[in-house]
Amino acid sequence: MRVALVEDQALLREGIVALLREQGIEVVAQAEDAQSFLSAVGAHHPDVAIVDVRLPPTFTDEGLRAALEARRRHPGLGVLVLSQYVEPAYTTELLEVGSGGVGYLLKERVAEVRTFVDAVERVAEGGTVLDREVVSTLVRGSEPAGSETGIGSLTPKEREVLELMAEGRTNAGIAKAMVVTQGAVEKHISSIFGKLDLPQGGDDHRRVLAVLTYLRATSEG
Amino acid sequence: MIAEQAFASAVSRHREAALSLLVPATAVAGFACTVIWAGTGFGSYWPIWVWFAGLVPISLFWILPRVTEEQEGRRLALAVHAGLTAWVIAILVMIWIAAGGGPFWPLVTIVVLIAAVVLHAVILRRAEDRGEHELEERVVELTRTRRGALDVQAEELRRIERDLHDGAQARLVALSMQLGRAEERLADRPEDRELVRAAREEAGAAIAELRDLARGIAPPVLADRGLGPALEALAGRSAIPVDVEIDAGERLAPAIETVAYFVAAEALTNAAKHAGTPATLRVSRHGDVLRLVVADDGPGGADPAGSGLSGLRGRVEAVDGELTIESPTGGGTTVTAELPCE
Repeated sequence: MRVALVEDQALLREGIVALLREQGIEVVAQAEDAQSFLSAVGAHHPDVAIVDVRLPPTFTDEGLRAALEARRRHPGLGVLVLSQYVEPAYTTELLEVGSGGVGYLLKERVAEVRTFVDAVERVAEGGTVLDREVVSTLVRGSEPAGSETGIGSLTPKEREVLELMAEGRTNAGIAKAMVVTQGAVEKHISSIFGKLDLPQGGDDHRRVLAVLTYLRATSEG
Repeated sequence: MIAEQAFASAVSRHREAALSLLVPATAVAGFACTVIWAGTGFGSYWPIWVWFAGLVPISLFWILPRVTEEQEGRRLALAVHAGLTAWVIAILVMIWIAAGGGPFWPLVTIVVLIAAVVLHAVILRRAEDRGEHELEERVVELTRTRRGALDVQAEELRRIERDLHDGAQARLVALSMQLGRAEERLADRPEDRELVRAAREEAGAAIAELRDLARGIAPPVLADRGLGPALEALAGRSAIPVDVEIDAGERLAPAIETVAYFVAAEALTNAAKHAGTPATLRVSRHGDVLRLVVADDGPGGADPAGSGLSGLRGRVEAVDGELTIESPTGGGTTVTAELPCE
C-alpha cells in the first residue's frame, strides 16, 4: 500500500511516517501544505492520502478543501482526514464528493496504532471510516430529552456498537474491540437496526452510510 | 455661579422658618399701622410702606425656591439670576406705584437687568451646545474603542483556541503516538506494554480535555469557516429539525460573529429543550445591521430574566446590539438579535 501524507507540523509528520513504515506501509510523498500535497498526489498516485485539516497559510480548513479537490481529481483515491476537533459537517462534505474510500478521524487516533493502521487499510480498500466521536456528537445532538424511540432509546452498549460500526468495522472487529462474542454483537446490531428502522445489510460500507444517513436525517430534519 | 448656588440653597433651607416668622409679623405690623392710620384720621395711606417692607423678603422666599426647583449646575445659576431679576423688577415697579406713579423711572434699570439675563442665557446655551457636541464625540469614540477591544478579545480567544490545538494538543498527540509505537514494540512483554498503554490513555484523556476546553473558548468551526457555515453546522447538530436561511455576506468582525453564534446556540438549545418542535434560523443583513432570528412553535412562556437569556442579553448589549424575546404562552418563542456590523 502506498500513502501520501500532508501535515504541517514536522513532529507529527515524522512520527506518522515512522509509525506507518514500522507497520509496513510505504509513504511515497510527504507535504507541508495543500498545494505541494496536490501536486505530490498527481505525481505519485498513492492509494491513500492522509490529510491534516488545518494547513498553512490560514490554518483553517485548507486541508479539507485539498482533500475534496484530490478526491475530485483522482476518482478512486482513498482520503483519510485527520482533524483536531470533530465537525460532523466536514464528514458530510467528504462523503458527498467523489468515489473511493474515505475516512475522518480525530488526530489523536494515530496513537492507537492498530486502529489507525486498520483505518488506513480500510480506506485504501474503498471503505468508510468515521471517528467514533462523529457518531457520538450526532447522537448527543439528536437526542431529545427522555425520548423513547430512535437514537434516544439505544442502550449504552448499542451506542458503542453504533460508534464502532461508523468506524467501518466488521462484526468480528466490533466483537474484538468490545471483548464480547460475535453473536452478541449481531444481536446488538439487529436491535439497533430495529430501533432505528434501518435496512439490514452485510456490506460494511453500506452499513456506515445507513447509520450516517439516519443520523443526518434526524439531525437536519 | 457658586455664590448663586449658595444663595439659592440658603434661601431654600431657611424658607419655612423665615416665612412662618415674616408672614405673621408683616400681617400684625401692617394691620396695626392701618389701625393707627385710621385712628389718626386717614389721609395718605402711609402703612403701604410697612406692607412693602414685609412683602419684599416674603416674595424673595416665595420666588426663589420655585424657579430653582430641579435645576442644577449652570442652569441653577441662570434660574437664580432670572429669579432675582424678576424680583428686583417687581420691587422697583411696586416702589414706583407706591410713590404715586409719574414718569416710569425704573425703565433703564429694568432693560439693563433683562439684557443681563438674556446674555447669561445665550452664554449658557453656547456652553451646553459645546458640551453636548463633546459628549457626542466622546460617545462615538468610546463605542468605537469598545468594539475594537471586543474584536481584539474575540480574536485573541480564537488565537488561544488555535494555540491549544496546534501547540499543546499537537505535542500531546505526538507524545501519545510515540507511546503507541512503543506499545507495539513491547508485544512480547505484556506487563510493560500495559504500563505504556495506560500512559497513552492518560495522554488521550488530556487531549480530550484540552479539546473541550478549546471548544468552550471559541468554536473552532467559527474561526475556520466563519458565521454561515458555523451556524449551518450548529443547526445540523441540533436535536430538533432546524430550517436554516443564512445571508450574512462576507466575514464579519470576530466579536459580532462570536455573539451571533452564541445567541443561535443558546436559542436552539432552548428550543430543543422546551419546545421540541422544528425551529427556524434566519440570518440577514440590513445595511449595517445583522439580524438573527430563531423561532419555534413551542409552548412559549420563556422567562427573559432566566440565566441563559439574560446572559445572552449581556453579550448582545456588549456589542451595542439589541436582543428581543417574544414568548407569549402557547404562541411559540422568537428570539431576535440585531447586531451592528459595518
